[in-house]
Parts: sequence; C-alpha cells; structure tokens
Amino acid sequence: MVTRREFVLSSGALAVAVSLPLGACRAVDDDFGPGFLTAYLEVAPDGRVTLHSPTTEMGQGTHTGHAVIIADELGVDLERVNVVTAEPADPFRRGGQMGSGGSWGVRYWYEPLRKASAQAREVLLAAAGVQWGVAPSELVLSRGEVVHEATRRRVGIGTLVAAASQLPVPDSPPLRPKSELRYTGRNVPRVDLGPKIRGEPVFSSDVERSGMVYACARLSPVFGAEVDGFDRDSAKRVPGVLDVVPIPGGAAVVAAHTWAAMRGAEALAIRFKPTPHDRLDSATISRQMRAGLGPDAKTIKAREDGDLQAAMKAARRVVEADYEVPYLAHAPMEPWNCTVEFNAESVLHIWAPVQTQDRNRNAAAAAAGMAPEKVRLHTTLLGGGFGRRLGSDGIAAAVLTAKAVKRPVKFFWRREDEFGQGWYRPAQVARMKAALDADGRVTGLHVRTAGPALSASFSPQGLPAGQIDGSSVQTIRESRYKPAAFHVEWVRVDQPVPMAPWRSVGASQNGYFLECFVDEVARAAGRDPYELRRELLAHDARALNVIDTAARSAGWGRSLPEGRARGMAFVESYGSLCAEVAEVSLKDGRPFVHRVVCALDCGSIVLPDGVRSQVEGGIVQGLSAALGEAVNIANGGADNRNFDTYPLLRMTQAPEKIEAIIIESGEAMGGVGEPSLPPIAPAVVNALLALTGKATRQLPISNQGFS
Amino acid sequence: MRITLKVNGQPRQFDADPDLPLLWALRDFLGLKGAKYGCGIAACGACTVHVNGAARRACVVPVGSIGDAEVTTIEGLGGKHPVQQAWLEAQVPQCGYCQAGQIMQAAALLEQTPKPTPEEIRVGMNGVMCRCGTYPRIEAAVRRAAELMSTKGEG
Repeated sequence: MVTRREFVLSSGALAVAVSLPLGACRAVDDDFGPGFLTAYLEVAPDGRVTLHSPTTEMGQGTHTGHAVIIADELGVDLERVNVVTAEPADPFRRGGQMGSGGSWGVRYWYEPLRKASAQAREVLLAAAGVQWGVAPSELVLSRGEVVHEATRRRVGIGTLVAAASQLPVPDSPPLRPKSELRYTGRNVPRVDLGPKIRGEPVFSSDVERSGMVYACARLSPVFGAEVDGFDRDSAKRVPGVLDVVPIPGGAAVVAAHTWAAMRGAEALAIRFKPTPHDRLDSATISRQMRAGLGPDAKTIKAREDGDLQAAMKAARRVVEADYEVPYLAHAPMEPWNCTVEFNAESVLHIWAPVQTQDRNRNAAAAAAGMAPEKVRLHTTLLGGGFGRRLGSDGIAAAVLTAKAVKRPVKFFWRREDEFGQGWYRPAQVARMKAALDADGRVTGLHVRTAGPALSASFSPQGLPAGQIDGSSVQTIRESRYKPAAFHVEWVRVDQPVPMAPWRSVGASQNGYFLECFVDEVARAAGRDPYELRRELLAHDARALNVIDTAARSAGWGRSLPEGRARGMAFVESYGSLCAEVAEVSLKDGRPFVHRVVCALDCGSIVLPDGVRSQVEGGIVQGLSAALGEAVNIANGGADNRNFDTYPLLRMTQAPEKIEAIIIESGEAMGGVGEPSLPPIAPAVVNALLALTGKATRQLPISNQGFS
Repeated sequence: MRITLKVNGQPRQFDADPDLPLLWALRDFLGLKGAKYGCGIAACGACTVHVNGAARRACVVPVGSIGDAEVTTIEGLGGKHPVQQAWLEAQVPQCGYCQAGQIMQAAALLEQTPKPTPEEIRVGMNGVMCRCGTYPRIEAAVRRAAELMSTKGEG
C-alpha cells in the first residue's frame, strides 16, 4: 500500500494530494479519511511536475486534459507536466476500485486538479515569500518561476520544493481567473502523440523483459467451456515451442517467439468439455429475447410517468414497432496481451493494458497465490479500450503461465480470441408503442426492452433476480421527452454469453430504439421529426438549444441533391446532450454518409480539439457498428472471429465530413468520450427512412437489404 | 536458416525459418516494435511496412521471400517525415496502435501519387483500419502531407 507519507519520502518532492469527496463511498484509507478519491501531484526539485493519476490513457486524451489543467492553475509550461497512470493503491480508488470508464476522466477531475494545483502554487509562493522576506501576495507564479516584479527577482519552482513541502497546504486556495489560463479552452497538442507517430514502444505488446518467452493462448471456442485434455507433444513438435501450460478454459503454448507460439497454439490437439449451450446460436437468442416482448413475460418497471392506460385508451392512433440489435465486439486494435515477471523479492510485476487496475491486480494476486500488495501493476498506454479492458479475463492465465515456466512471459491472444472470448455489448430487443391524439401529438409512450443483463455478466456481484439492469433501459428511463404518460420496463432474458460495457454502454442500443421510433411516429402522424422532437422537449430549453443548433447548422428543411436525405437523432448520455443530423444517400445500394453535423452540449470544456476528436471517433465507431457489425453466435461461440468476417468501418465508408459544434452551456461538465456515439445509428436509419420509406428495425443495416 | 535483411538501411542477420512473417522478424528478432500485430491475415494493416518502397502487410510476408529488397519501418521514417509532421499538425492519433501502419501506408501512397484526389486518398488508405475513428483526420493529414512534400520538392 502506498500511503501519503511513504510516497513523499520516496519521491523527494513536493506532493499535494488531490482529493474529492465521494458522497456515499466507503472509507478506503485511514490516512485520507473516509470517502476521498485521491491522486498525487508532485513537483520535483528539477521543476518537473508529475501527476500520478488513477486514469488510463487509451486514446481519449485524458492525460492531456489533466496536464493542461495543472499547467494552467500551477503556472508552468505544458511540456513540464507529465501524467502517468499510477499503480493501484488506496488513494487512487473510487468505491474500493481504481479504474477508468464512464467518460469521467476530465469532468470528474477538473475541480480537484485545479484545487491541488492551486494548493501547490500557494505553498511555492509562500516558500519564496519566506526566502525573500516579502508577502506572498506580491509574488506571481508564471512559466515555472516565482517572480517578484518590484525587485525583479525570480526563482525556479524546483529550488523551492524542499522549503514548500514544510509549509501548511491551504484548504481553499484562490483559483486563477480565466484570463490567466494559457492552455484551457485552446487547441493544445496532445502530450502522447509524439511517441505514437514515431512508432515508439509505448504499448503493452511492446514491453520486453530480459529472458522473456512468448505464450499464445489456445482457448475454448464455446463460451465458458472447460478443458477436457490436450496432447502436449502436438504443439511441441512445432520448432521453437518450449512448453504447454494448462490455463482456465484452455492452454498456453510457450515459445521462443510470437510466431512459434501462435503456430504451436494452432497445432495443439485439445478437447473441451461439453456445455449446456454447445448448440446456442443467434437465431435462438433472438427468439428468446422476442419472447420477452410477449404478454407473459415478467417485467420490471423502470419509469412510470402518468396514466399510460388512459393515454392508450384515448388515443386516436397507436403506433407500434419492434427493434433488435446484436451483440457487438469492442475490437480494440491491440489484441489482449500482458507481460508478467516474478522477481527475486517475490514481487510480481505485470505490464498490461487495463482500464481497471484493482480488478486486474486482484485477479493476478489470486492466480499467483500472493497478497495483492505484492503485485505491481504497470498500466501501459492502451491500444484501444472502449470498455473491453474493464474486465480481467486475460490476466490469471498469464500469471499461471509465468509461474509454471519460471521466466518472464509475454502472454497474448490471437485476434481470433480477442473476438471469440466474448464480453460483448449485449444483444437486445425493444417493443415501442406511442399513443397519438387527433392533432398528431404524442400523449403516451410505452417502451419495453428485453435481453440479457449486462450487470449480471460483468459485475462481480452479479444481478439479483427482480432488480433492474440499468444499462438495459439507459437513456430511455432518463429521457427528457415528456409526453403526458411515459412508461419504461425491462424483461430479463439470461444468456451464457459474457458481456461488458461497450463505448456508451446501454445508450448505444437504447438511443437507436427510441430515436428511430420517434421518426416512425412522426412519419405515421405525417409530421416533421424535428418538429415532433421540439414538441416533446418544449419544456426543456437546454435540450431545445441542442437540437435547434444541430438542425440549423445542418440546414434542416433545405433541399438536398436528388437521392440524398437527412435524419436526426438526439441522445443524452454521460452528462452531455448530443444531437446529430446525418446526410445519407445510397451508393451502389449501400448507405453512404456524406455529412454529419453534431451538436454537443457538454457544459464546459478543457480541450476543444480533444473534444472534437472524441466526437469524430464516437461517430465513426457508432457508424461502423450500425452499418456492419454483429457477433454471429453459432455452436455456443462466436462464428466471426477476425476482421474478414467482423468488418469494421473503413476509410471509404467514413463520412465525408463531420462537423462538431461544441456548446458550452455552463452546466455541469459532461463526458465527451461516449456521448457522440449513440445518435449516429438512429440519425442514419432515420435518413434512410426519409430516403426510402423503409424503416430499419434491426441492426446492422447491412443485413437489412441495403448492401 | 541464416536470414539477411536490409532494414532501415542497415543489413541485419538472424537465424529463422524462411516462413517466419516479416512482422515477427521485426518485432521479436530485431527489436523494432513500430509495426503492430492486429489480425495476422492482412485485413487490418496495423503491420504495414515498406518493401522496396511499396506498402506491404508484414504479417503475411515470409521473411525468406524478401531477398535483398529494402525494408523500411516507421522507425526508419526518421520522425520528421512530412507525413509524420502532418500527422502531428492534424493531431490524428487517438490510441495510436494502428497509426504506424496508417503513416507507412500514407507515405507509400504519396510516393506513388504525390497529389492524390480525395477519392484516391480514401481508396489508398482503405486497407488500414482504425477503431478509434480517426479517418477524418487521416484524410486531412494526407492532404497536408502532400502539400508539405510538394513545397519541399520545389524548394
């Protein structure tokens, strides 16, 4: 355990704890008091500043955001600030766990980082004041130096560190006015891009240790199947193969280099035990989920606004539609791997691309039979996360392999196992009903979703029967639409397919269900879908501004070239409101997106270009899923296990133009990594509805007669 | 067998099976980690390197087939290549794992087509996938790199 005292001693620097109260969270460390999430801001004697942060950099730019906040508030050049992901330790935990997800990286840390930086600045100013015999109020900290204008004295902050660390840290330091901020709100280059464009070894797969061997997993093709036995010699006949080690759900083929390990894994003769779901396929899952839409299904209520029965009874017209989405793979470009080394002091070192440090460290410790404190987890930059690295399913096998061969091991999955081991975005179905009055106004909405519970699969505690799975109704339960009656319910349909949060989680499917249905309702009522949304949001100025901004910028209602149509969608997730308008045509019968206008109200921002980058990425990933992605389940496992059969969007299919309009409404800072993703699928589907009159009630679009 | 490869201008020797894919020769035998493993079937392009100036998917090129051809990896691009400069200007990468492949593909494309049309850029870059969704910036950066390279040529 790293305590504050140890940490200061070991770094020999000025360290300020960054803390924020966490409401109901349990106490995790006596040194810090109950309910605090803490990071460390450290100023070294050479003037360099390091933030030891619990956030993982997986491409979303969080570390740059943190560096900017610190550089501005402290008063140093951005180049002097380094942000590293800390090893898991009590001060870095939230609810007992350290991890990154939920688009929290910047919005959660903005205020505490500013405060800690201001605290560091104040003690550095105070230390200089003592040294020079002047009042701290006469001093400024700028570009890494404390300056006394009157006497033209200046001193680098590094030389003040020893004295400053003896001074009391003020509880409520003043924050700099906006006019003094050099980086916040401006286009600042990302701190992690130089090494990435030079191809430097920054990823987990690039880690090399002396004497390291390579271990390729051979894993069960059926979800959760156990090993019945394997013939070691079948793999050892491959030149370069050193050993075969049993691991949960398969075997690890250990070799002198990656390719030998891969070939050995392919050659390994291995048998798996039968499971009850050996013949499970996508059609069966679909049928079972759709049975959940029937009258006999056991529902759990999620929202009950108004008298829905009365609304339906009084309706001039009732519109109904069923929708379905498949399981989705995260498909980060870097397949799972990690490097494991037991050192002489009985400490286990692991270099890994993980979003959840504690979950992985605990899994590693359990596999090693060691105390978690003896496991040192070094989080590398991630070659993509999107939620797939929230789990810990790859770590125990790596530890067991290193333990067996008694050498440092780089343990990896082939792409086929990255796809095949599951932990997908859940498949789900929905039945939507709307009551319309004589004027075509929506007086009642009824939504039932049915499918497997993400939390039952992913949460270590599972989900007790009768409880709601939040992500299964996410964004619909909280929707800002306010018809007179709005009921939402969910039916649990368990499946043996492992699931994990996927970028934007439940918003990815529920945004599609609700927003496509709004357009179908508008069409049935002969109304403009944008106007219908305005009516449903008439009470909500903030939401109206978002859809109005998107509509105006996209030229909603203006004519388009022949064969092109617009579609709109509005989804709120992770504290941000997002409306998108897509312009779509059919190119050789396939949908092609010419332009996407995105209006995102995320309250306030730190990195404008970073926000735009995330908006673009979310739209491209969401479009990829909508157009062509689905995990096909066959014989109890994934049938499509590489990019030839699980197609990600390619450059020729990307939108010609993405325009991001960032609205700084001044409301609480929202997330930006996820909210741009959910609206793109319904925006494109709604454009196709406008273009062809055909509703797309099942994703991906490529399976619906458009390809 | 004894393999000799010319990599980034240097002759490199090692013992390996001639069927060993170039990707693993670079990464495991020569310590050049820039080219990445993404799929192993030439579907994603993360492993893209140059063989005699042409973009090739190193995961399916047997090391024994290369002979005395020149292999160039991202490490051999020098860090200040116009494509790399343009990539920084446009702030292209997010996670960055595919970007060595993207950059190598772009460099080869511009070598062959110094002034590509938007359609030529999209088609030329189609073989390298990005899960983070950086395609809009890749397109802009390739256009910018073409500008930088033409200015350089004229100067």
